[in-house]
Amino acid sequence: MASTYVKSITGLLAASALLMGATGATAADRVKIEWWYAISGKLGDTVQQLISDFNKSQDKYEVVGTFKGNYEETLAAMVAAYRVSQQPAILQSAERGFMTMLNSGAIIPVDQLMAKQGYKTDWNDFIKPVAGFYIVNGKPAALPFNSSTPILWYNADAFKAAGFDAPSDTWQGLEKQLYALKEKKVTDCSMALPGDFQWSLIENYSAINNYPFATKANGYAGLDTEFVYNKTGVVGQVARLKKWVDDGVLKIAGQGVAPISLFTSGTCATIINSTASHSGVEADAKFKWSAAVMPHEAGADVRNGTIGGASLWAVKGKSEEVQAGVAAFFNFVAQPDTQEWWSKATGYVPVTNAAYQKMKAEGYFKDHPTREIAIEQLSRGEPTDNSRGFRFGNHNQSTAILIEEIQAVWTGKKTPQEALDSSVKRGNEILRQYEKLHAGK
Amino acid sequence: MVERHTGLSIFCHVVLLIGAAVVCMPLYFAFVAGSLTVGEVQQVPFPLVPGGHFVENTVLAWNEGQFSRLYVNSLIVTVGIVVGKLAVSLIAGFAVTYFRFPFRMTAFWLIFVSLMLPVEVRIIPTYEAVADAGGPLRSLFDAIGLTGFVADTTGYQLDAALQWNMINSYGGLILPLIASASATFLFRQFFLTVPDELCEAAKLDGAGPLKFFWDVLLPLSRANIAALSIILFLYGWNQYLWPLLFTTEKAMSTAMIGLKDLIPVADAQPAWNIAMAASFFVMAPPALVILLMQRWFTKGLVDSSK
Amino acid sequence: MPANNAIMTKNEGAVKRPGLPLRRSLSSLVGTSEAGLKASHFRRPWLAAGLLAPQLLILLFFFFIPTWKALSLAFVQVDPFGGTMIFVGLENFTTLFSSPEYRDSAILTLWFTVVQCIATLVIAGLLAFATDNVMRGRAIYKGVILLPYAIAPAISGVLWAFLFNPTVGPLAQMLHELGLAWDPNRRPFDALLLVSVAAIWKHVCYDYIFLVAAFLAVPASVMEAAAIDGARPVRRFLTVTLPMAAPTIFFLIVMNFVYGLFETFGIIDTVTRGGPAGSTNTLVYKVYQDGFRQLDLGSSAAQSVILMAIAVLFTFLQFRAVERKVNYQV
Repeated sequence: MASTYVKSITGLLAASALLMGATGATAADRVKIEWWYAISGKLGDTVQQLISDFNKSQDKYEVVGTFKGNYEETLAAMVAAYRVSQQPAILQSAERGFMTMLNSGAIIPVDQLMAKQGYKTDWNDFIKPVAGFYIVNGKPAALPFNSSTPILWYNADAFKAAGFDAPSDTWQGLEKQLYALKEKKVTDCSMALPGDFQWSLIENYSAINNYPFATKANGYAGLDTEFVYNKTGVVGQVARLKKWVDDGVLKIAGQGVAPISLFTSGTCATIINSTASHSGVEADAKFKWSAAVMPHEAGADVRNGTIGGASLWAVKGKSEEVQAGVAAFFNFVAQPDTQEWWSKATGYVPVTNAAYQKMKAEGYFKDHPTREIAIEQLSRGEPTDNSRGFRFGNHNQSTAILIEEIQAVWTGKKTPQEALDSSVKRGNEILRQYEKLHAGK
Repeated sequence: MVERHTGLSIFCHVVLLIGAAVVCMPLYFAFVAGSLTVGEVQQVPFPLVPGGHFVENTVLAWNEGQFSRLYVNSLIVTVGIVVGKLAVSLIAGFAVTYFRFPFRMTAFWLIFVSLMLPVEVRIIPTYEAVADAGGPLRSLFDAIGLTGFVADTTGYQLDAALQWNMINSYGGLILPLIASASATFLFRQFFLTVPDELCEAAKLDGAGPLKFFWDVLLPLSRANIAALSIILFLYGWNQYLWPLLFTTEKAMSTAMIGLKDLIPVADAQPAWNIAMAASFFVMAPPALVILLMQRWFTKGLVDSSK
Repeated sequence: MPANNAIMTKNEGAVKRPGLPLRRSLSSLVGTSEAGLKASHFRRPWLAAGLLAPQLLILLFFFFIPTWKALSLAFVQVDPFGGTMIFVGLENFTTLFSSPEYRDSAILTLWFTVVQCIATLVIAGLLAFATDNVMRGRAIYKGVILLPYAIAPAISGVLWAFLFNPTVGPLAQMLHELGLAWDPNRRPFDALLLVSVAAIWKHVCYDYIFLVAAFLAVPASVMEAAAIDGARPVRRFLTVTLPMAAPTIFFLIVMNFVYGLFETFGIIDTVTRGGPAGSTNTLVYKVYQDGFRQLDLGSSAAQSVILMAIAVLFTFLQFRAVERKVNYQV
């Protein structure tokens, strides 16, 4: 009985191997480069377009892109596959998974790869917050790919109806405007709370106002970093958001609706959301809309915002041929032409100065002024330890805790100070765990 | 004939109508959303009557997701799961209820405990197990020295023969999902209710266990097999996480992954209309199975077989 | 009706054999017990082994070995890629037991599972009873009630979240018009209610389908006999149909319990993501979040051990307490 069973497994295997052989034979003469990515829908189509452009541009390599679910699912798939040597050659991983990837022992730093394969990439040409995030000890670890930053989207018609030309550049000024919008009943809600509010309204807020988020330069200077955001302006920010929620000025989008829809449908007059929302807003908003840099505290020492999005990692354990292909593809992605096309098609930030200057010279930003806001926000002031970015081990875990604790403020279970104290305490335990596990890295 | 009660009849119809309305409500809204344009689907308040773009959205979704190929994979995997699990659990259920043998209850509890940790929760080690299904055997044979013995005596490389990588194969998609006890448990419960004299009669006729199983038990189990087929078909068809993690070849992807690919994510345009339209043709095969299978359990089966 | 009195007594005698509970459960494990064995049975151990082999082999390779690997991580902290690993003893467990969030989650899970289990069975039972008692349109009702079960979970979860979204959801709007302050983003009870309703909705079809099959299997002759005795439909249902469907009902109680405890993380993920403030964060959702989303494999494994222990304990109790009341030879 047992042996027939084993036979049937092997039989199944053989049959499927045959099937696979049949479908894979067409591109046998090219070196296959597997790429797992995490963005779907329209953005996924743009990724496939990028791949097909690369495949057409040369005849040695064939990049095969596979959508592996959202960022978390893609990373989990990578972990599972790596443990049994089934990993792809390229992985798209979100900024929150940066440390996990960096210390995984599963990657080849991108500068090493490019140098070895004979490509000269000018890493200084990457715009500062992007380079600042991905360069570790002077060397870039991953290739910046889809980088974004949150900007303030607003309904220009609604603002005009309430008697304003544009949103104020401070939170204090914006508060008055949002309450005026509500009192004059211009829109049902003045602002929508995005799903990733911890990224925009907490982390970016902290960077822009030059508050420290954690010790050791937000984790850049060592794994023994500790969160300190319960002692900075972040507490006031959470209290402000809570007040807005209670007063019905700020609406929590929650599950079941894309927060940006609350803006494009005209329900909410403003939203602070990723610059990558451009293609959606351009297509869907049936009113006069615009965008502005994120507000700051009155009198703050204003700095750059930080980036979100994801980067491409070269994964270890692949043949020399495949690595050469990965380098060729990375080189293709980093070209100003590709960057320009990608940025225009998606709304993500052009990550190199060359691409940015090229778009500027063409007058692209004259026709699309809001597309430049992200760059403007990312290059405000000289980056400080507080604004360069965040480098925390298991950042996903501490983020989940932060969200959970702030939700306890929305429900009224905790005061902002209590919630942030608890969040810092639980977050630090995670940092310590990570430090213990990766001591010496 | 059992007499009829008008009051009861009305009550039952009312219950069923309300029940049907409630369970179908999400379906109606999916249909409405699927019939709108991407602009309309984001409207507040949400429209309560369907728009005119359902066919258009469906066609767009179908082509976008290359569903023709995904469909074939999904069907193979799902039918594999249904048939595999039914076969495996029918005989296992038969064994634990109709045979006296040592460790019978141990076997039952071993099977039963597999209900206690779904595949999604132990997904990373399961992936390892499937990518290298021969691994445990290799280490076992190495440990007891069988590998070396076989290589010395026959020159046969046992290690090499035990490299079973099931990544991107139907076997790898199907087998881990069969590994659960729900169906065995159901058949055990059902077999225990089967009148004992049926088995006695079969024994008197000189029928062996397998003949009894095939001629008597299997026909009696028809309603349960039908009900379970529906459940298993849906279970297999709606699998998402396992195939997603497990398949790297587009050629092995399933319809559910294609559907999930259409569901908008944070930075993209929220094209819910396309995803909702797609959900209808993705649910068509399981819906068909429900409509066909439900006809199977219409009469008192124990009666009909006597 | 085949009720053979001699066999019935024999069967009951086997279950009610005196003895200490512990000794009884131990003896049931090594296989001397006759619980769940047909009175009329075969004695062909090797054939039985052969019939069991496929199931046990599949379970060995695709359940026991992976589960063993997963659970063995409960005593370590590990880098997800497998590069570094530290043995931490029971630290993963002590961290969990000292965490108030984990305790809240455990209590929540208990309530959620019990409410879900009972509500699903009662609603499905009512619908199945009604289906059993209508003459016209039975097939249509069956089809229509089962149909929604076919929709992809990813879609149905989103639909529930959308319909009851306090800002845009049409049904949330209706609740607001009724004067209810519905807001699952800010009111934990609303979120819990929403998740429960969605989970029950998803599972009602499961119970319904097996109950319909079980009710229909009640021989018409028995029903007629009861009717001749003057039993009215409801009474017939309670005294004849329900007892005959008891094995199925026991199956469903166990399966509902397993569903509530283990299989609801998908619906929680789409409907509330465990929020607000962890108010819908059940134990299994936490295992899934920590293990799969956040790659904290050590803690996730420890949680799985606890969860499995709870499940095994409860199931064992169900077999002890409930199954004894199930008479398999009515």
